[in-house]
Amino acid sequence: MKFRFAVLLIFALSLTAVPAYAHHSFAAEFDGTKPVRLVGKITRVEWTNPHTYFYIDVVDTQGKVTNWGVEGASPGALSRRGWKHEDLKIGGKVVVEGYRAKNGSNLVDGRLVTLPDGRKVYGGSPGDGGPGDDGTDHGSLPGTSN
Amino acid sequence: MSLHALFMALAHSPLGHAMQASKWDFAIVEMVHLLALAVLGGCVLIVDLRLLGVILKGESARDIGRDLGRLLLGSLLVMVLSGVALLSEEAGKCYYSPAFRCKMALLAAAILFYFTLHRRALHHTGSGKPNLWARLAAIVSLLLWLGVGVAGRAIGLL
Amino acid sequence: MPLLQHLCQLLYDSSFGTMIRESNNAFPIIESIHVLSITLLIGTIAVLDLRMLGLILRPIPVTRVARGVLPLTWSGFTVSFVSGFLLFWAEAAKNYTNPAFRAKLILLALAGLNPLIFHTTIYRRVHQWESLHVSPWRARAAAIASLTLWSGVIIAGRAIAYF
Repeated sequence: MKFRFAVLLIFALSLTAVPAYAHHSFAAEFDGTKPVRLVGKITRVEWTNPHTYFYIDVVDTQGKVTNWGVEGASPGALSRRGWKHEDLKIGGKVVVEGYRAKNGSNLVDGRLVTLPDGRKVYGGSPGDGGPGDDGTDHGSLPGTSN
Repeated sequence: MSLHALFMALAHSPLGHAMQASKWDFAIVEMVHLLALAVLGGCVLIVDLRLLGVILKGESARDIGRDLGRLLLGSLLVMVLSGVALLSEEAGKCYYSPAFRCKMALLAAAILFYFTLHRRALHHTGSGKPNLWARLAAIVSLLLWLGVGVAGRAIGLL
Repeated sequence: MPLLQHLCQLLYDSSFGTMIRESNNAFPIIESIHVLSITLLIGTIAVLDLRMLGLILRPIPVTRVARGVLPLTWSGFTVSFVSGFLLFWAEAAKNYTNPAFRAKLILLALAGLNPLIFHTTIYRRVHQWESLHVSPWRARAAAIASLTLWSGVIIAGRAIAYF
């Protein structure tokens, strides 16, 4: 009885160990235990080095609008993952999955982004442990091949 | 233990957790890595440019190699230690990163070359002018170390 | 807006600055050159500093080490300066408010002032002490200042990304 409990406990603990390392290249700034999913309209785009940013207005169930920032890798790195500056049109609708900034501000890193044209693009790096990471350049996005 | 498991073990180690948790700890380790890079690079440049016969021509290449060799290896050690700490912060990403793998391969090659053919070239040149092989050794050394640096930059950019 | 900030904004908004800032490859390449140039600029001067502190290359007179090293240091400075200026051009408005960037410029100025003082004072008499294994205290002070200030430049430079 005690032995089975111990096994279950270790198993449960080992599951929690994974999110603790669900960490990634923007690790210094973002919290691996705070995944976020946002749906919103693009208000501003900064397609800059060393990091790209775009901002979206998110409307909650009460109708309140909050502006969130989404940080991404450099333009060069994103272009290798299939995104371009033109893909982010002002007013376009996006779905962003990422992790929230450690300082609690309305900033996330954009790991999995569904662009206004419907394409899903991946913002992470292989092996960084965030949502969609499967060790490849595309993440486990539906419809992509490795 | 597979290589992947080793990387994961590093990520889950106390060092890994410390590096992942703190913004400034990671920044400080990066800075140490850069300071050591400056020193390592300076030593490599001076030793290899002497071996090429470009600078300090009146001095012994072998003696310069031996003297700066201690500083070179010391700064290399600091780079490896700080590098492991940096790796523990993003071991998964590095495991899959072609830039990281390239860097490690070039680093291994540079270190191996340093202790073998490069040492022989310095010894053989002594206080004199370098022959063709010595100059080739100097160029190979410079290119290998430069490659390590460039690949290292690529890790964060790809 | 203060004049200096206005100038920074002009650089930032310029098409050239914007092109670098939004580039796929130019910015990463320029930045990589800038980072790796610290070996040519700072690594080499560190060797001269360590010689004056009597820690390395003792059998070689200071003047010979300097003659070998300084052309490399100057080349490194040129590469660092050009690449750094291009990065600044792309980021000027953001750099203006960045405390790490400001600290880096101050340290850079001091790192430039140090050898100026050194070369116009104690180094004038270098032939009196060039062969000593350990250089006179004024030279050692300059060497320590050099190592400290250039380390500070590297540290402040890396810190820019964190502010």
